[in-house]
Amino acid sequence: MATTVGQPAEHDIGLSRLRHDPYPAYRYLREHDPVARVPEAGRYLVTRHADIMHVERHPEIFLSSENPSLMTRSIGETLLRQDGAAHQRLRRAAEPPLRPRVVKEHWLPVFRRNTADLLSVLAERGEGDLFADFAGPIAARNLAALLGLRGVGDEDMRQWSQAIIDAAGNYGEDPEIWARCARAVADLDAAMDEILPVLRRDPDPSVVSAMLHADDPLTEDEIRTNIRVFLGGGLNEPRDSIATATYALLTHDEQRRDVEAEPALWKRVFEEAVRWVSPIGMYPRRVATHTDLAGRVLEPGDKLGIVIASGNHDERVFDRPERFDIHRAETGHIAFGGGPHFCLGTWVSRAAVAQIALPGLFGALPGLRLTDEAVPFEGWVFRGPLRLGATWNS
Amino acid sequence: MPKVTYAQPDGTETVLDLVPGTTVMRGAVTGGVRGIVAECGGNLMCATCHVYVDLDEATPAPFSPVTPDEDELLDCTATPREAGSRLSCQLGLTDRTADIVVRVPESQT
Repeated sequence: MATTVGQPAEHDIGLSRLRHDPYPAYRYLREHDPVARVPEAGRYLVTRHADIMHVERHPEIFLSSENPSLMTRSIGETLLRQDGAAHQRLRRAAEPPLRPRVVKEHWLPVFRRNTADLLSVLAERGEGDLFADFAGPIAARNLAALLGLRGVGDEDMRQWSQAIIDAAGNYGEDPEIWARCARAVADLDAAMDEILPVLRRDPDPSVVSAMLHADDPLTEDEIRTNIRVFLGGGLNEPRDSIATATYALLTHDEQRRDVEAEPALWKRVFEEAVRWVSPIGMYPRRVATHTDLAGRVLEPGDKLGIVIASGNHDERVFDRPERFDIHRAETGHIAFGGGPHFCLGTWVSRAAVAQIALPGLFGALPGLRLTDEAVPFEGWVFRGPLRLGATWNS
Repeated sequence: MPKVTYAQPDGTETVLDLVPGTTVMRGAVTGGVRGIVAECGGNLMCATCHVYVDLDEATPAPFSPVTPDEDELLDCTATPREAGSRLSCQLGLTDRTADIVVRVPESQT
């Protein structure tokens, strides 16, 4: 369905159009209707950078808990849909392995090894799909290590993650999607059965271990539930940021030469890539009290979609936002969200993607180029390239 | 009420009278002070509310010391860490806090 009901004639903001390319619609909304009622999404879409910052700075007005929620129904009540002390307790338990010092001292060498393993196989092939053959597998392998999962293959990680994400967006109530998610949760639970007793006995730097041994430890049920959301969310963001950044450099020769000459710029490549095409484009919030946002009166229970993909293209903040430009002077993208739910994986992703995966890829595959520059991108809740056919000198 | 002066790199200053119980970060964000981003809202995860607190040796420390969690984030700030570097979300104000000047860095991300 591309048409919407009950909208002003000029609106025509349908989900299929957003999935294909949301940016023209976002530009229109920022200009004309910054807190827009979009019935097909069941929400008001908040599209300006300043309003998104306001929402993130007032978590007591704009709640993360939502009931009923497709995500809660498919994988249980996770920290992503909780507020205040309950959220903080879960987050504090999961956080220690994801803080910058542990990332640097423990995880960087792990990410380096995983990346080198994958690239040594790819290098000889001379061609491939950098999305399916590199971005996806490296994201899966790094995430399995971080969480503490053992003996779980890249393909299992990919399937479980996709099944969980599809269920959280199963607005059409497709029974096959529910069934696939239930199977993924059962398989993941089986993998958890193996590691929980081991990590309880022998702690390690993983997230599951941190949750078990926190000052205020989580129950095994809480751990199982929250690992599901990390699996759903922790795979596609590094994957899509790697794929987007790679596509961007392979279509912007000058910037590619700049970063290959000055490796300190890889950080800029990553940050600009997640601003340019934010891997998470939208997340939900719920209004707690009567309030006003950009002139729109909101009532308790109103549902919002916080469109960080749009905030990251706001002309009020970013000059010519549609351009990929690692040298842009403006900073302050909001791809990691903000407030109490600020992305837990921020430091990990900077290390895994900006320090290791991207420089590793361009270093290991000399003469890297796209076979077809018409790379398809899709999605508005999550967005990234669907494939990235390339060749290189083997 | 404690008076906090936010000194920008371009020489402009904002002076705010802040209520006890708030932080230097929250005062800046509420007061619309440029250059204090505070992405994570004071949860000690982001390092984007970095400020410099310059004190001479005779002045008693107005704030609680740097904790290990703050210390590791101070190693990740966008502008170089200095002796007076702090995350302003950790600078709590009480009715006994003396008036203070903090320098806002060039960038936070």
